[in-house]
Amino acid sequence: MSSWLQYVKSIQIHVDYDGQERAEKLSRLIITFFGIVGLIWGYVTQQFLQTIYVLGAGSVMAALITVPPWPMYHRKPLDWQKSQSEVTTKLKKKK
Amino acid sequence: MHTIFTRGNAIVAYTLSVSACLTFCCFLSTVFIDYRANATLNTVKVVVKNVADYSASREKNDLGYLTFDLKTDLTPLFNWNVKQLFLYLTAEYQTENNDFNQVVLWDKIVLRGDKTVFNFKNMNTKYYFWDDGNGLRGNKNVTLTLSWNIIPNAGLLPSVNAFGSHTFAFPSEYTSLRV
Repeated sequence: MSSWLQYVKSIQIHVDYDGQERAEKLSRLIITFFGIVGLIWGYVTQQFLQTIYVLGAGSVMAALITVPPWPMYHRKPLDWQKSQSEVTTKLKKKK
Repeated sequence: MHTIFTRGNAIVAYTLSVSACLTFCCFLSTVFIDYRANATLNTVKVVVKNVADYSASREKNDLGYLTFDLKTDLTPLFNWNVKQLFLYLTAEYQTENNDFNQVVLWDKIVLRGDKTVFNFKNMNTKYYFWDDGNGLRGNKNVTLTLSWNIIPNAGLLPSVNAFGSHTFAFPSEYTSLRV
């Protein structure tokens, strides 16, 4: 049970700054692309509903790809400085 | 974009913006289309009565009665920005009381996907052809016109007159027959 809890806690649900940018760009790209394709397809079939369906499919796809915190959105974590107390203790040890 | 909810919100909002933009493109692609078409109208039976209009004044007014033929092909009117057509048949004439009278005699809703080629024979009117006086008997110049409203997904709501109208005359005597 505890190992299972450990596993749940180990899942990273945060997204780093780079990942946020990538998620936003990717979702915009997917929805715009599906919108253009839908417009063309709707014009070909002369059914505007088809355009909306294609756009909706793009929206669902963008949601699947960019809403969950997939591993590719936390590959560049920030390089935080070590906390000050640790640094000072290390310095003291050197003395 | 830092939590699941902000990302979901951004996607929904952007999808909405794109759909508005696409709808506008759909409107732009159809805004300059000419929605006129040919219609062939004819009257079959035309009589006029002089009876009391109980819905208005109880005075005796002229009531026209006619049956008509209508032949038209409305297939070219439909495109991806047309949801339905509202057809209506108007009679226009001049009387001593008014310089210009318009009476809607018949109408029909044509939905997308419905049959769009019409060939009606000897149709009854849907609405009474009342004149507000005695202007129908012997009126030599009554013009039937077919018109339609285009109901779009997005954009303008044009009212279009068909090419081809039919001018007929009412008889100079009232009929006493039941019609």
